[in-house]
Amino acid sequence: MENSAVSRKETDRLDAKSFFGVIFARPEIGPIGVMLLLFGMLGYFSIPAGEFSWNPFAGEGFNALGIRNNLKVISQLSIIALGAGLLIVAGEFDLSIGSMIGFAGACMAMILRWGFTIIVPYVSFAGGPHIEFITLIHISDISPIGAILITLCFTLFFGWLQGFIVVKSGLPSFIVTLGGLFFLRGLTEVSLRSFNHRPDQVKGATTVTEIPDIKNIIEVPGYGEIEREAAKALPEKDLVGIFDALPASTVADLTEKLNYTYQRVADAKTDIMASRGVKPLERALENAVESGNTQMADTIRDKIATFSIEPVVAKSVSQADVARAYLDTVFSARPVANFFGGDILEPFFDWLYFSVDWNTNNFGNQFAQGLYSCVMIALILALACHIVLSRTQAGNWIYSTGGNLQAAKANGVPTDKVKVCLFIFSAFCATIFAACQVFEVNTADAARGNLKELEAIAAAVIGGIVMTGGFGTVLGIVVGAFIFGLAKEAFFYIPGIDGSFYRVFLGLVIVASALLNENIRKRIMGTI
Amino acid sequence: MSANASKPLIETRNLVKKFGSFTALNGVSLKVYSGEVHALLGDNGAGKSTLIKILSGVFPPTSGEIAVEGEVVSFASPRNATEAGIGTVYQDLALNPLTSVTRNFFLGRELTRFKSPFGLLKMGEMHQIAMQEMKKIGITISDPEQAVGTMSGGQRQTLAIARAIYFGAKVLILDEPTSALGQKQQMEVLKTIRRVQKLGNIAIILITHNEIHARLIADRFTFLSLGEVIGEGTSKDLEGDDIKRLMAGGAKIGDLAKELAI
Repeated sequence: MENSAVSRKETDRLDAKSFFGVIFARPEIGPIGVMLLLFGMLGYFSIPAGEFSWNPFAGEGFNALGIRNNLKVISQLSIIALGAGLLIVAGEFDLSIGSMIGFAGACMAMILRWGFTIIVPYVSFAGGPHIEFITLIHISDISPIGAILITLCFTLFFGWLQGFIVVKSGLPSFIVTLGGLFFLRGLTEVSLRSFNHRPDQVKGATTVTEIPDIKNIIEVPGYGEIEREAAKALPEKDLVGIFDALPASTVADLTEKLNYTYQRVADAKTDIMASRGVKPLERALENAVESGNTQMADTIRDKIATFSIEPVVAKSVSQADVARAYLDTVFSARPVANFFGGDILEPFFDWLYFSVDWNTNNFGNQFAQGLYSCVMIALILALACHIVLSRTQAGNWIYSTGGNLQAAKANGVPTDKVKVCLFIFSAFCATIFAACQVFEVNTADAARGNLKELEAIAAAVIGGIVMTGGFGTVLGIVVGAFIFGLAKEAFFYIPGIDGSFYRVFLGLVIVASALLNENIRKRIMGTI
Repeated sequence: MSANASKPLIETRNLVKKFGSFTALNGVSLKVYSGEVHALLGDNGAGKSTLIKILSGVFPPTSGEIAVEGEVVSFASPRNATEAGIGTVYQDLALNPLTSVTRNFFLGRELTRFKSPFGLLKMGEMHQIAMQEMKKIGITISDPEQAVGTMSGGQRQTLAIARAIYFGAKVLILDEPTSALGQKQQMEVLKTIRRVQKLGNIAIILITHNEIHARLIADRFTFLSLGEVIGEGTSKDLEGDDIKRLMAGGAKIGDLAKELAI
């Protein structure tokens, strides 16, 4: 035994990791590559035909409005993908997410529209046995936070129930939550139809409409709480009244901004009119050149060179305009509704318009007011999940529950609790998604969230979550959501192909990611 | 070798375990001393696993008692057994191959900044302890972030043993630690066991099929057959063929040869 082999230890067989080796061993590296590719594609293809630019922000994909809309889709998907992804890391599935979104949205909307009542049926024997109802609680005017909390009671309970059934029965979560998928969707439709029932109808619609725009309710002195649009539509003399109450500095500031906007609008109009005026001349020039009439062509060239139109004069700022602009800046009197359905980063987007001159549309107006609030919610959730999964005891429990259930149990990890908590978290994420939707559009529909459970799972898989559990990161999940959200937009802009090719692309990416993930898992398990 | 041979660290007295009408153990008495390797040998179905499971608290005995350091104990769950200082390293080692050495070392008993499942992990301290404890029994790992799946069988075995010792095991039960390994790694595990033995304050119960390994490392032997002890003694008491004969359930080698002569 005393030979050269002795000086060689088992540890020597593991090569020291190189810098790039560490980076390329990370499970997110493939997805990040695909994401960057899609960024590039969307930036490149969304630049209008005939123009050329290396700047990806020049096109429609990443102008202010494009960013706003893309980030909304991505963050909403991130929210549910986090719930689905963490559950997959722990070795279970939730197929009820989509139906849970529909259910939570309908529940919230119904509570906001009609209030909340607990009715207990009982059998009465007075005058023959029949069923009577007793109303325990009836609250007709519920605040947004109340509606969300009541909805959470239902959804979190359902999440707990699914988890409880899975861990106690040992049934595959696939089948239990598939039951949840049908059950919740059906329950949502049934409840919406019965609540929407009108005297002249046999059955109601499966939507809830006519909810006030809660996030835009503002406090206006002299008018109390009023919807922003209603306040802006007040008669001229009322608006002047609001104007008179404003401090001078606010008036000066708003007037300056309005002057800037009106000037931009006027400039844009001038440009549009100029190009419209020149166009017939250019066409005539082309004809003249084609027919070889050089004299005519020269005359037209002169005309084009000297062509000018009277610049459009900017609108002057009236007192009512300032009052309306002021009403736009008043912060919501319903911060919770605004937190879920409102906008964020408005000052930044204002700065982009007024100071940077980037956030401007073709008509000179401000393009996007801000980002959807769900971007912030997704960020908060992702950050929290990242810390929990990678830096806490709970995270180690989640990994071990999915990685080797028996080992986790043998070491005293409460694996059943871990799983049930993650089922509840998945339901929580679906409810948050629904809250963002309901408070943004002020309607609910039983069809909301259809197929979202599969999108969430797909995003998680694309982001490097291994389907058998125990492996994956939060960064990966978010990257997966980015890929999913960007693909649709990017393929829409590719000239000459059907936009639905994005599904073909995603299908390939999903299978490729799953193969890659499995390969990484096997490499770590030491089986290849 | 035995530091305090007079007083056993763990002792079983007349353990009986019945599963319905089937008697798995029929009055097994065993004494294990600290600083000693006690080999538990026997054929398949001899009752080794049942004995181990009673000792590690998986199920209680039908009758008989267990004494740790002279005090009679009873275990309602594996956790009780761990708390009483009995650490069991099963064949599957209870490791999660997808996560790091440190995460496995502290699995279920992580060090956190405040006492809550959401308390942040003290990763630096945990890395240090894991490396240090594994080094104590002979394996230097280069990277505590290394996934357990990439380690050799011997290294994994060491990790599981180091973990059991660090979390207070006075009695270490090793369930066939060399069975699934190659020749070289078997030696590595035996070296690890030897180092634990040399620590002097830990008693090791070694379950094995491998007579050579037992003879190399064990100080004391107990042979089980059909739920009963059919022989015991120190390595000096038992000579050559005795071990082989007792392992085969008491049959003489000549009898076996006869049996084979069809």
